[in-house]
Amino acid sequence: MNPAPPAARRPVVTGLGFITPIGNDRTAVAASLRAGRHGLAPVEFLGNPALPVKLAGTVREFDVSSTNSRDWTWPARYDIPRETLRGLAPHGVFALCAIEQALADAALAPAAIAHQSDTGLFCASAGSARMLHFHLGQMDAARGERGNPMGVVSSICGTLNFNLGAHFHITGAVCGFVSACASSSHALGHACDEIRLGRLRRVIVVGAEEHNAETILPFAAMRALSAQSEPALASCPFDAARNGFVGAGGAVALVIESAELAQQRGAPVLAEIAGWGQSADGHSVAMSHPEGAGLRLAMQRALADAGTAAGEIDYVNAHATSTPVGDRAEALALRAVFAEAGARPRVSSTKGLTGHPLSMAGAMEAAFCTLALAEGFIPGNAHLRTPDPVCEGLDLPRETLAVAPRLVLNNSSGFGGSNVCHVLRRGG
Amino acid sequence: MLAASTMPTSSDLPQPLNRFPAEVRAAYQTFRATGDEAALRVVVTAAVADFMPRNSVHSRTEPLRAEERLIEDLGFDSLAVAETVFFFEDLFKVTIKNEEILALRTVGELCDFVARRLREKSPAA
Repeated sequence: MNPAPPAARRPVVTGLGFITPIGNDRTAVAASLRAGRHGLAPVEFLGNPALPVKLAGTVREFDVSSTNSRDWTWPARYDIPRETLRGLAPHGVFALCAIEQALADAALAPAAIAHQSDTGLFCASAGSARMLHFHLGQMDAARGERGNPMGVVSSICGTLNFNLGAHFHITGAVCGFVSACASSSHALGHACDEIRLGRLRRVIVVGAEEHNAETILPFAAMRALSAQSEPALASCPFDAARNGFVGAGGAVALVIESAELAQQRGAPVLAEIAGWGQSADGHSVAMSHPEGAGLRLAMQRALADAGTAAGEIDYVNAHATSTPVGDRAEALALRAVFAEAGARPRVSSTKGLTGHPLSMAGAMEAAFCTLALAEGFIPGNAHLRTPDPVCEGLDLPRETLAVAPRLVLNNSSGFGGSNVCHVLRRGG
Repeated sequence: MLAASTMPTSSDLPQPLNRFPAEVRAAYQTFRATGDEAALRVVVTAAVADFMPRNSVHSRTEPLRAEERLIEDLGFDSLAVAETVFFFEDLFKVTIKNEEILALRTVGELCDFVARRLREKSPAA
């Protein structure tokens, strides 16, 4: 358990950047969350219309589908020099743009974070399976006699840290986190600890993924993806008829600073990260613990770390991805933590709108929670028609509510049973 | 050396020159058709300009000169030199050794090297 940090070292969110299926800036994302507007689009992977994967949460305004970075396009408002582009994975373009946006949102020029020993960068992605496949294919075809010098840094897990740490000249700490769909939640939790311990005063946290066949389709082999072509039937967390998740991509960045630093520079505080907790199921390589035992412990640890009782939480952004097993485990964990304590926070999974962007999910949903706190709303459960009976006792609003939460909980779970939860408090 | 038939033939394989100006692509085709080394130099010089970092002291509006040094004058680092060389390996299906890369200092030396290597590869061209 973390010691309570001195007030000056409380971690606060001062900037957000979004490249997501439901919008490419804070205004658009908030509007989509309020309106319940999804970002799922038809896809045909590997040119094969017979595949039982019909939808993905895709990013607009970008084309990074080529394996040649020269072919990529992105909105002109972002600045990516050629020498940075050459080492990036496709999702690195999303991440760089999300960071530029988050810095602007935090009223920080890129030069203000360069060569600052108090500033770190924590990243999360699964790497680029597409680029790895392409570069290894090229190496195989040449029987090992030649390969692209940028093949490693543009593809392997860690590609975000290598490239973005160098590009933004980060000198405090640069690190990557790998715990599948809990990765960027781990990045955010550890960023908070670094600030609370006084080791860093600012950390840029970014999660990103690609929404191409190489990243998403392998989950079909695990029978984890929905085969539905109708968005409302495909991504419907907690619904009795849920049938798998819809893969998604993009990037979300958060600027986390100590309360003292934010105050010194007069930065607006969007939310405070009041605490976090993690645990592990110790159960299965891919399936959640059947009663959500690990997630329950992570929630309890996050609440304790924040010095908060279950009854004080106004809203829970659930991890629920729309899979039969995962949503059930989370519903049972939520019931154990909240219903059994007589608490009834609003609960929703925004993945009904976004699909599931894997490593990026935790940072994205922490940013959604920040928006909910800063702008005064509670996102609803898009696409929920008939709640699974296992959700009995949980308050699952269909529509977004014009209710301003004060304390919210953000849940994440990843393969291998990694669970991470954050408690966020309204700022200002 | 690798036979062309064993190269990946996927239709989505990016063409290394597909984002270059028309005159560069035309120069490449001229070189392929006639073996004209002046046309080859147009392609090699365009690729060097394309890989040149933004922080280069060289003005982008001026053409590159043969005597300009890749690292000292144009701001390349060793990875950027390696990537430029890989571009030619990929484009012309040749293999270039590390020690050969390390010996290349200027734009002109790079042009001469590529021309020589392609002469060796295909003396009849």
